[in-house]
Amino acid sequence: MPQMGVSVAEGTIVEWKKQPGDAVEADEPIVEISTDKVETEVPAPGGGRLKEVLVEAGETVDVGTVLATIEPAAVAVEAAAPAREAPVREERPAGGDGGAPERGDGRAPPVTPVVRRMAEEHDLDLSQIEGSGRRGRVTKRDVLAYLRERPDAAPEAPPAAEEAAPEPALHMESPYREEVPAEAAAPEPAAAAAPPSPGGRELSVMRKRIAEHMLRSLRTAAHCTTIVEADMGRIEAVRGRRSYLPFVARATIAALREHPSLNSTLEGELLTVHEEVHLGIAVSLGEEGLIVPVIRNAHELSHEGLATRIKDLAERARGKRLTPDEVVGGTFTITNPGAYGAVLATPIINQPQVAILDLEAVVKRPVVVTDADGRDSIAIRPMTYLCMSWDHRALDGALAAQFLSTLKRRIEDWQG
Amino acid sequence: MPELTYLQAISDGLREEMRADDSVFCLGEDIGAFGGAFKVTDGFIEEFGVDRVWDTPLAENAIIGTAVGAAVEGLRPVCEMQFADFISCGFDQLVNVAAKLHYRQGLSVPMTVRLPSGGGFSGGPFHSQNPEAWFLQAPGLKVVAPSSPGDAKGLMAAAIRDPNPVLFMEHKHLYRRSKGEVPEGRYETPLGEARLARAGEDLTVITYGAMVLTALEATEDLEGASIEVLDLRSLCPYDREAVLASVRKTSKVVLVQEATRSCGVAAEIAALIAEEAFEDLDGPVVRVTAPDVPIPFSPPLERAVLPQVEDVRDACRELLAY
Repeated sequence: MPQMGVSVAEGTIVEWKKQPGDAVEADEPIVEISTDKVETEVPAPGGGRLKEVLVEAGETVDVGTVLATIEPAAVAVEAAAPAREAPVREERPAGGDGGAPERGDGRAPPVTPVVRRMAEEHDLDLSQIEGSGRRGRVTKRDVLAYLRERPDAAPEAPPAAEEAAPEPALHMESPYREEVPAEAAAPEPAAAAAPPSPGGRELSVMRKRIAEHMLRSLRTAAHCTTIVEADMGRIEAVRGRRSYLPFVARATIAALREHPSLNSTLEGELLTVHEEVHLGIAVSLGEEGLIVPVIRNAHELSHEGLATRIKDLAERARGKRLTPDEVVGGTFTITNPGAYGAVLATPIINQPQVAILDLEAVVKRPVVVTDADGRDSIAIRPMTYLCMSWDHRALDGALAAQFLSTLKRRIEDWQG
Repeated sequence: MPELTYLQAISDGLREEMRADDSVFCLGEDIGAFGGAFKVTDGFIEEFGVDRVWDTPLAENAIIGTAVGAAVEGLRPVCEMQFADFISCGFDQLVNVAAKLHYRQGLSVPMTVRLPSGGGFSGGPFHSQNPEAWFLQAPGLKVVAPSSPGDAKGLMAAAIRDPNPVLFMEHKHLYRRSKGEVPEGRYETPLGEARLARAGEDLTVITYGAMVLTALEATEDLEGASIEVLDLRSLCPYDREAVLASVRKTSKVVLVQEATRSCGVAAEIAALIAEEAFEDLDGPVVRVTAPDVPIPFSPPLERAVLPQVEDVRDACRELLAY
């Protein structure tokens, strides 16, 4: 288990990309691991043949533990065949990620749209299906054959299941047209290993990490959420087609410099106020989860520099190319679900920070505006709610409101 | 049922409509005394007389323009372009006038334009084209391209009876090569309906015109694979439901057209499949077409350009193994 960053002590095997007996090249990814920070691929330290896998998928081991042995090419000639008998994919945790099975070259061919849909509709783990397509791709035909032959389609299935899913339903015409009725769903074939309920699937490693982290934060911090409304008109006027996020991030950094007590971390009873702003940006990975890469010394960056860094981190987060050190050490976090239309939220603090800012959707609203002569009128303005959850152990509501007012002013008086 | 060639079936369909309906008449170059360059109207002038079988000057613009006027006045003209390639001379009357009259003035234009098209006989670049896709960009025109004698006769009747301008693509290579049983008497093959030339389960070949024969031959015995062949018959409107149903069944599609590649019928149907049946695909949508070049005169070069049986077989094998 490689040392994936100074703060990482252990890692979990997500998936072996190679099976014992497979040829590997130096620097070729051979195993996917998950630490409490990121999921990443581990490249082979040298070329040869994968001789033995010592830590199976799903197991968690300390940094420094030997995961597998690679035999240099010269001596690898005969040892290969018997080692293949324990295919690694059977050890994958049930549920998995539904991806295609990995084959000899370490890269699974993409799953075709119809196979992906059928796998979802039937809740299939594609790694359980032998692919007959090129490079081992699972074809529609393979899935149909699998559905025909899997244990719950066999005669010894309970009578209810037999009635609900008669054999002809598996004809080419469209066997996957409708869901098998819930009461007829027999146990998963691979689920002999004790599934809690039919159709259930174990959380992914990433989701487990998120669950653990979120619950810990809720148990730890005295969460409180303060909301301030801001007029995004100035930013709207200059942003063009660019995202709001870098603009608000820059205003946030400036506000943090004015109110450093928000830029702090609380560990136990030890409060550390940070001079540098290491800004965390929550990046959604879709259904897989969420990751918060950190822009170190964000206060030193120009607006353009900040925008570039955010884009780069988001892209690398989605491509699983972040290093563990890039997701630690944040002093304040911004999350941005407003991109999906949400208008209010009460986010959970990213421990051990003391506050998290939630950037919500910008919505045109009628608001009362006052001109230079003090006259009021109703205008249509692009408005947003700045929602900040903060830790009442570390600070009080007045400070949170002051910080948000500063942020509001910096947004509304945006100077570029 | 008598067995007719594709050419005889077209001739038969036209003759039956002329016998049944006095408003139907033919016009074109050498179609009267000579009986047409390919003899489709052989004997027509004797049966129907010079008033209903017109030999025209070599002026496609005039032929189509005259037909538009006659159609607006209530007749049902059937124009022959001696070769489909020559229709470019009549483009304006067809695309800007005939296609738009209904939309602009609510007038029906019940005319038919026969287009002897396609290559495979060393006709060279001016006598071998498949220009059907030009007209898919002209809303208001209908386009049919039958492959069998039975469909050719039925679609000829449907084209003549339809209140819109219909382009009838008749592939020259099929004239004497495509033979089949053709019902006697008048009948209509509906516009916009595809024909399942062969049912199958592993892969669908979607095609039309002469390529239906190529596709059937190519997939008759393809290492035991069960290949469906869908003959579109009508290109505009085309049978979306039949296309999508077949894609949903087999999940693998090879589109074959003799015409050049870009922006053709195959491209349009590939786009439909991508939009409407993406989640049913088990492999990329594959096209087998002529490359974007004029048709060469030299026989070996022409063979290299036009899709051959072996090209279709290769594409199917490749996709089956995907």
